[in-house]
Amino acid sequence: MTSDSPGWLGRLRRGRSGPRSRVRRRVGSVVRLTLALTLAGGVYIVFAPGLAGAKDTPQLSTAAEEGKALFNQSCITCHGPNAQGVEGRGPSLIGVGAASVEFQVGTGRMPMARQEAQAERKPPVFTDEQTRQLAQYIQELGGGPQVPSGDLRAPESDEEAIARGGNLFRINCSSCHAFGGGGGALSSGKYAPGLGEATDQQIYAAMLTGPQNMPVFGDNQLTPEQKKEIISYIQEALKQDRDPGGWGLGRFGPVTEGLAIFLVGIVALVFASLWIAGKS
Amino acid sequence: MSTETEPRVEQEPLDVFDPRLTRFDIMREGARREGIEIVHYEAQYPPGSRAERRMTRIVASFFLLTGLAATAFLVIYTWGPWEYELGSNVSKLYTPLLGLTLGIALLGIGFGILTWGKKLLPREVAIQDRHDGPSTTEDRKITGETMVYIAEELGLKRRKALGFAALAGLAPVGLVAAAPLIGGLIKDPVEDRILFKTGWDPAGNGGKPVRVTREDGTPIRPEDVSVGGQMTVFPGIPGGATNEHADSPTLLIHLRPDDAKKTLDTLKPVNQGSMWENFVAYSKICTHAGCPASLYEQQTNRLLCPCHQSQFLITDNARPIFGPATRSLPMLPIEVDEEGFFVATSDYKVAVGPAFWERP
Amino acid sequence: MKRRKIDVRAIPAKSAGALDDRFQAATPLRSLLNKVFPDHWSFLLGEIALFSFIVLLLTGTFLTFFYEPSLQTVTYDGSYTPLRGTHMSAAYASSLDLSFDVRGGLIMRQMHHWAALTFMAAIVVHMFRIFFTGAFRKPRETNWIIGSLLFWIGFLAGFTGYSLPDDALSGTGLRIASAIMLSIPVIGSWVTTSIFDGEFPGHVIMGRFYIAHVLLIPGILLALIAVHVGLVFKQKHTQWPGPGRTEHNVVGERMFPRYAIKQGGFFMIVFGVIALMGGLFQINPIWLFGPYEAFTVSAASQPDWYVMFLDGSTRLFPAWEIRFDLFGWGDGYTIPPIFWPTVVLPGVLTMLPLAYPFIEARLTKDKKAHNLLQRPRDVPARTALGAMAIMFWLVLTLSGGNDVIADKFHISLNAMTWAGRIGLLILPPIAYYVTYRICLGLQQHDREVLAHGVETGIIKRLPDGRFIEVHQPLAPVDEHGHGELDYAGWVVPKKMNRLGALGPAIKGFFYPIEKPAEAPVSPGHPPVSPIEPARREEISK
Repeated sequence: MTSDSPGWLGRLRRGRSGPRSRVRRRVGSVVRLTLALTLAGGVYIVFAPGLAGAKDTPQLSTAAEEGKALFNQSCITCHGPNAQGVEGRGPSLIGVGAASVEFQVGTGRMPMARQEAQAERKPPVFTDEQTRQLAQYIQELGGGPQVPSGDLRAPESDEEAIARGGNLFRINCSSCHAFGGGGGALSSGKYAPGLGEATDQQIYAAMLTGPQNMPVFGDNQLTPEQKKEIISYIQEALKQDRDPGGWGLGRFGPVTEGLAIFLVGIVALVFASLWIAGKS
Repeated sequence: MSTETEPRVEQEPLDVFDPRLTRFDIMREGARREGIEIVHYEAQYPPGSRAERRMTRIVASFFLLTGLAATAFLVIYTWGPWEYELGSNVSKLYTPLLGLTLGIALLGIGFGILTWGKKLLPREVAIQDRHDGPSTTEDRKITGETMVYIAEELGLKRRKALGFAALAGLAPVGLVAAAPLIGGLIKDPVEDRILFKTGWDPAGNGGKPVRVTREDGTPIRPEDVSVGGQMTVFPGIPGGATNEHADSPTLLIHLRPDDAKKTLDTLKPVNQGSMWENFVAYSKICTHAGCPASLYEQQTNRLLCPCHQSQFLITDNARPIFGPATRSLPMLPIEVDEEGFFVATSDYKVAVGPAFWERP
Repeated sequence: MKRRKIDVRAIPAKSAGALDDRFQAATPLRSLLNKVFPDHWSFLLGEIALFSFIVLLLTGTFLTFFYEPSLQTVTYDGSYTPLRGTHMSAAYASSLDLSFDVRGGLIMRQMHHWAALTFMAAIVVHMFRIFFTGAFRKPRETNWIIGSLLFWIGFLAGFTGYSLPDDALSGTGLRIASAIMLSIPVIGSWVTTSIFDGEFPGHVIMGRFYIAHVLLIPGILLALIAVHVGLVFKQKHTQWPGPGRTEHNVVGERMFPRYAIKQGGFFMIVFGVIALMGGLFQINPIWLFGPYEAFTVSAASQPDWYVMFLDGSTRLFPAWEIRFDLFGWGDGYTIPPIFWPTVVLPGVLTMLPLAYPFIEARLTKDKKAHNLLQRPRDVPARTALGAMAIMFWLVLTLSGGNDVIADKFHISLNAMTWAGRIGLLILPPIAYYVTYRICLGLQQHDREVLAHGVETGIIKRLPDGRFIEVHQPLAPVDEHGHGELDYAGWVVPKKMNRLGALGPAIKGFFYPIEKPAEAPVSPGHPPVSPIEPARREEISK
């Protein structure tokens, strides 16, 4: 419905856009436009909210109503009215659950600026409160997995919980996110992000919902307790615990170690030999 | 002392017992007898000069720094917080501080004696004759003749039988040395076809199909793996999840319905009947070099091996689509038994893991 | 009883005399004390390897007191809490224990590892120096061969040592090693099962690697290093060409005291740098990798840098597999793709360098013995060849870490692989060409300075209004103002102050110890002969 409205913006962008498809370009501009308008000061764009009126949801809570308003401002262009998805732009959000919204919106991945191999972590557009409202809306719309409230770490009294979490991390997570949680490359430009900024909620939500190319780890596969153990391991052993052997060189493994031996070790020793052999 | 070489054309040896000679003269005479001419020998600073005293102080302070750092090392080593403690930052300083103090101590010695050698010892230029080149023709002749003479005395030429006999006798002795080494180490890979079998072989389970289990040995129901999820599974036999069965880890994947249909439609004959509903199970051991190919992208249905970046397409028999791998990941035939748990109906139908000579 | 008086001051002389009575040491000792070594920074690179090897022996011996080469499964209960209660091999548990439960064990382990990386890096850098200066030429081919072998034996030492902790990273490396062995045609599976005593990983491999790592390989290394250094001693060190330096002499410092003191000090510096790195830079955090299990792996699994080029070649090699039928024998046979980049390529990379001195001698028809080095620019073909080899190696090594590069610089992983494949083919020839041109350019510049003198920076206005820069000739000039110096492969002074015009010369390290100021820059001008007093004068000033 809005595909023809941002023509001027599309033209503006055409000058520096590469070989991206026309549809993508347009989608990008749409999102930009809506964002710009939202930020510009709440100019309310009137869409016909009742287009899909036949399937309109019955009773929404107050929070969900707020969420719906936000959705209609920022998400509807790609995910369609009532989050039923738009072919070629965005998937249906029916049944993805609050966990998915909290992850995608809370990490700033949604709203997307443009279609790419993979959505990137950005500073979130919405506040925590708004994210919760959006999540509530999607939850009430189609149900789906939810991140439990409360503490998402294994109980501190359980001394071996972190070790068990570490074991699970190595079986399930380290193959993509790397042993130190720094992330790693996937095929064709995709990647597993580093876990450095991830909060407990986000890690939990990611495991539960499998965002983008990450596999889903449902509660039958990793119980909530096991998920909490993994979170404890990531947060307390990987992130909070300092490296005992000095600077960790970014925990890239032998790549940076090899760089270090040449850039630091050999360079220092060559300079030493220059001095030693120099004629004082 | 600065000494310039006065030309001494005649190379007659000095009488080193001559009491008029200085110690330096004797030393230089010694060098000369080695074919070495000390052509330049000069103290860098006049003895007792300010510059020399300054240099001495620098060297001394390097040594004192070493003493200080070494003491600090000992103090830290003895009383430092050396025991690991999760979350504690103090204990993480132990190793860096040891390295710092030890490094400074050693560098102190190094720079100390280097400065000593470079600055406080006289600068010198010495020239030594290489005396290189081959031996004299005379010497070559003598040595050569001697060796030929020895060979002739042994008479190998005249006593041919002796040579053959010695050779025939000694060759087996060499093999005697090699035999225990090779014989002790050698292990037949062909006889038991160990490279073709995995822990999923029902023969290892009393002939019954082997259950698919998690790492802790618990069996798996279909609902345990969510759509778009994957699970590393192991044969449900004793030690099935250990390195005893390093060729058995398997990736159980729950495909989305449309992906599953695509997969089913493209199944190769060898994989026919190996899927169970929307579930597929592929060997986790890369067919290229044996790493766990376990970076599963649930939207593109690719499986990436992190060692050499081979990529396998799950929806097409786990066929390699990028990187150095040439063979598809073997598919484990699975079904659900009457109790509702996954079992492997048989072992892998092709050998698991990296290829080798005898592999068809 | 009368106590015999001991003259304390006479003790050294007396005991020295007593020693000489028995060992006749005075003459050989005089020879040793006086032996002359040339002095140049690049001659110290090999020492880095030698000294880090000593550090390796020291720290390695410490580690053997605590390491247990066993694949027996144990439950960890040491002080590293994030692994407590985990099942692991005794080898891994003991590696953790020596890191966390032995006081100062972690720094020893890290120093050992850094020393290993230093050892290999120094070998490679030293090898570059030997290659680019032509120090491998007759009569030193044997030492070149020994040096090349030292690299590969060091490589084996490194790989076995890297495998010993049995962590997830090294276990993955070991598994790849088993795949490499499996790939050898005909005997591959036999070799693998024989080494692992059955299927990978078996139970014995740590014990076998351990004895190889602590006894067999260091033994061979030690023997080869002894021969290597012994040959340098016997054949005497090469030297740079320069005033007073000929094929038949060595210009430098006598071994004692200065040269030996420098060596001792340099050892301490190498040791100190390794200690600093061992304490300040964490290396191989095995506690983060976890125990090796056949199903665990981390993104960005790499070997240590000196193996990385083989990992890179394996990543880049296309999926080419040879399958064939041997007249109906068996079920058909396979040569896997991993065979070419990991068995054939290292084979070629071993044999080519070993043969290189002889190939070059044959191609240049140069059968003479050489004790003077060549500046890289003076042998452009060899230098360019070396640059080409380095470029080849660099592309492979970078490809060995291409996943890390792809991830951190946001490049597609597949694009990195293709960039490596294409780069491997086109970059080395480019490196050859560029290096060749640079060498010729540098030569050209040297010739220009020899002919016209050094640029002084002084601009002169001629009566007809033209401006010219005054060049200071290096030697007497002919009627055209051209220098009479021949190009001799020596360092040509390029700055005024090196000529002594602006004060004392020779700062900096890159140049030989003589002051070129008073020395003519051409050999044979005046004629150089070892006993001519005039020449000594020049060197000494």
